[in-house]
Amino acid sequence: MSRLVFVGRRVLQAIPVLFGITVITFFLIRLIPGDPALQILGQHYTAAAAKQVRHALGLDRPLWSQYLLFLTHLLHGNLGESLFFKQPARQVIEQRLAPTLFLVGYAAVLAAAISIPTGVVSALRRGRLFDQTARVVTLVGFAMPGFWLGIMLILLFAIKVPLFPVSGYGAGFVGHLDHLFLPALTIALGFSTIVVRTLRASVLAAYAADYVDTARIKGISRVAILLRHVLRNAIVSVVVVFGINLAFLIGGTVIIENVFAIPGLGSLLVDSVSTRDYPVVQGVTLLFAVLVVAINLVTDLVHASLDPRVAAR
Amino acid sequence: MATPRTSARRLTRLAGALACLALLGAGAAAAATLRGARSHANLDTFVLANAVKIDTLDPAQNSVNESIWLDQNIYSRLLQPNATGTKLLPDLATSWKITNGGKTYTFHLRAAKFSDGTPVTAKDVVYSIERAKALKGGWGFLLDAVKSITAPNPRTVVIKLSRPHAPLLADLAMYAYSVIPASSKSKGAAFFNKPVSSGPYMVTSLNKDSELDLSLNPYWYGKKPSIKHIKVLIVPNDNTRVLLLQSKKVDAIENPPGNLIDQINKYPDLKADLFPSTRVDFIQLDEHFAPFKDRNVRMALNYGIDRNAIVKLAFSGHAIPAGSFMPYKMLYWDPKLKPYPYDLAKAKAYLAKSKYPHGFKCFLIEVANDVSGNATAVVIKSELAKLGISVDIRTYELLTAYAKEDGGHSEMGQRYWTNDIIDPDEVATFAADSNGGAHAFNTYWVNKKANALVEKARGELNPKKRQQMYYEIQKILYQQSPFLVLDYSPYRYAQGRWVHGFHVNPLGAYNLSLLNMTVASH
Repeated sequence: MSRLVFVGRRVLQAIPVLFGITVITFFLIRLIPGDPALQILGQHYTAAAAKQVRHALGLDRPLWSQYLLFLTHLLHGNLGESLFFKQPARQVIEQRLAPTLFLVGYAAVLAAAISIPTGVVSALRRGRLFDQTARVVTLVGFAMPGFWLGIMLILLFAIKVPLFPVSGYGAGFVGHLDHLFLPALTIALGFSTIVVRTLRASVLAAYAADYVDTARIKGISRVAILLRHVLRNAIVSVVVVFGINLAFLIGGTVIIENVFAIPGLGSLLVDSVSTRDYPVVQGVTLLFAVLVVAINLVTDLVHASLDPRVAAR
Repeated sequence: MATPRTSARRLTRLAGALACLALLGAGAAAAATLRGARSHANLDTFVLANAVKIDTLDPAQNSVNESIWLDQNIYSRLLQPNATGTKLLPDLATSWKITNGGKTYTFHLRAAKFSDGTPVTAKDVVYSIERAKALKGGWGFLLDAVKSITAPNPRTVVIKLSRPHAPLLADLAMYAYSVIPASSKSKGAAFFNKPVSSGPYMVTSLNKDSELDLSLNPYWYGKKPSIKHIKVLIVPNDNTRVLLLQSKKVDAIENPPGNLIDQINKYPDLKADLFPSTRVDFIQLDEHFAPFKDRNVRMALNYGIDRNAIVKLAFSGHAIPAGSFMPYKMLYWDPKLKPYPYDLAKAKAYLAKSKYPHGFKCFLIEVANDVSGNATAVVIKSELAKLGISVDIRTYELLTAYAKEDGGHSEMGQRYWTNDIIDPDEVATFAADSNGGAHAFNTYWVNKKANALVEKARGELNPKKRQQMYYEIQKILYQQSPFLVLDYSPYRYAQGRWVHGFHVNPLGAYNLSLLNMTVASH
């Protein structure tokens, strides 16, 4: 089927998914005990004051009415007003989007830079020192909690040897690169384990294939075999694994954002649930859904372009 | 002779080495470029790391303490609390007269200017107070007695009351009644993204999740401070804040973990500060749960809980066992009310006199991730077990815990109180007056004498008589113990020893100290 039809079909399929997510999020967040009035009033909570607050925020209207209003606003690109920040929820989310995308993208680049050479060399040096060491190191990186690993990296590379900042997002592109190196590395170390293992297995499987023997017999060099035949086939499954984990990362950076004080979407979502900031929770969840759908679509497209057999189905 | 196998191996090794070098080189270059900027210490800049993001810079709508304390550097009020939180000082008002039997207050304003150069006038004051008062669910209840607020001329504000209201000056010193320009009305909420300031500092940049930058208001009426710029970084993680201070990237941090206080003091360049606060930790006892209606049970709990053990375990010794429900050393706090001592025999004797001589089962709601609260709960559980009272600790996230503690379906609940004003009217209304809206800290305890005293003290203008009333209120609550007062815990900060003069008042504000402090090179 043509790429355009494929993309169009996937976008259409995403619409009911996104609609379902708005329904689930809207009602789920309102099932949790406690409401925004508690957050706003804190220790000065009284039933009378809470009633006034809920009325001012429109939270005393029937749920179906609140949902319809939310949907109507959503169709106009309006996510409502953040109950905590007292500004449009869309503005709050937009401010947090760039740090998250930068961090996830940076982590993906570092993960690729670490895991692709490591996976290939591990396969080529199967069973030898490099392979064993790589497997142990990546396993440790995967098993160690992110908040511990992050703090260790800060201690080593921001305090003992002050190469990088302790925390924050920085200003400007170079500033972001500088500030986000340690957090991105923390994520990449955990992320790399799966990619290294998958790539190692795929490279070994590719080396065992008949076409590699044919290439050897034809006298093609080892490097050419590796780059033109083995990697080309091995990378296909890695792309799928990479894409799935990247989608998972979008909302999964909250611990790293907390340790490194990065104002990202993960911590915004957790904080907004804590403060019952309904518009922001709804907005961020919807955005996550859109990003996950987009990443999965891109992963499928890349997969199809690398493996023509997938495109043909 | 080089074989294809050897060539491939060499190529792989060379590629790997080059990649590593490139990565290291890029990182070192970036670090070297920025190292110069980071190591430079600006002596006219104070950098503070706060734990909690900013909700808003609208003083009428703040619900986060850290934002409230920041507001007080940006906005002035008619009056402000002093450094010990026991008196009021002039701010925009240089003097005031109280006439008409305490029902008319006339304030004379100084010649102050906003940060955009426009004068601060009485109309701005009137607008600001009325705006905050009118906010639904806001702080208007403090000014219930206010009948009218007028500006007969640009430098005079007149407030008329329907009845004498002793806490009025303290209420007006509250952050919610900060002065903003009347012209801000046309800008709506957007005004507070970069507000025009009436206080010593103005906002130069705001990112609520990561950083607030303040610079000196060029039109500030007071003596120019040596600190011209304030940078407030938002760093939620406790360990990261401590590391930032260790690396000297910040000058002070808020709320270092309690178990690191002694360790911080061991660093030659750092020190931890425990500033007396108005925080009182207590256990709410909901009288809908029958045993807590019995005073003998409440007294058994009082004697059966070791407050010294709580202070030691939950606060690493950095708190004070509490007697009175009113915050430590606040106005009219009664020093004669000592914390109930731990006395198991007395506790058992009280329980034996109650309707539950063999004990009972109950639950205690605590807030997740509240380290000192969680330790307190464990101490309470283990000590009450000796009385035959089996306590089931139920942990919830913050708002869920509060929702379960309010509404009359709770049993024991962990809560705390902090003052917003220096006057005892606020805490007495919430803690002692069952008609005050909070059902006596959600215990649903009713004492008509306490209710009447709270009402009467609010309208009593004679300080000596007022003091006696509050002493009596405290005595009633001490004897009846509708909730268990546990400890007074301080505000924890840590700072570099190169900082001189940073001080937090019992209400949590540090605006006065910023005007007199210095930052040395480090």
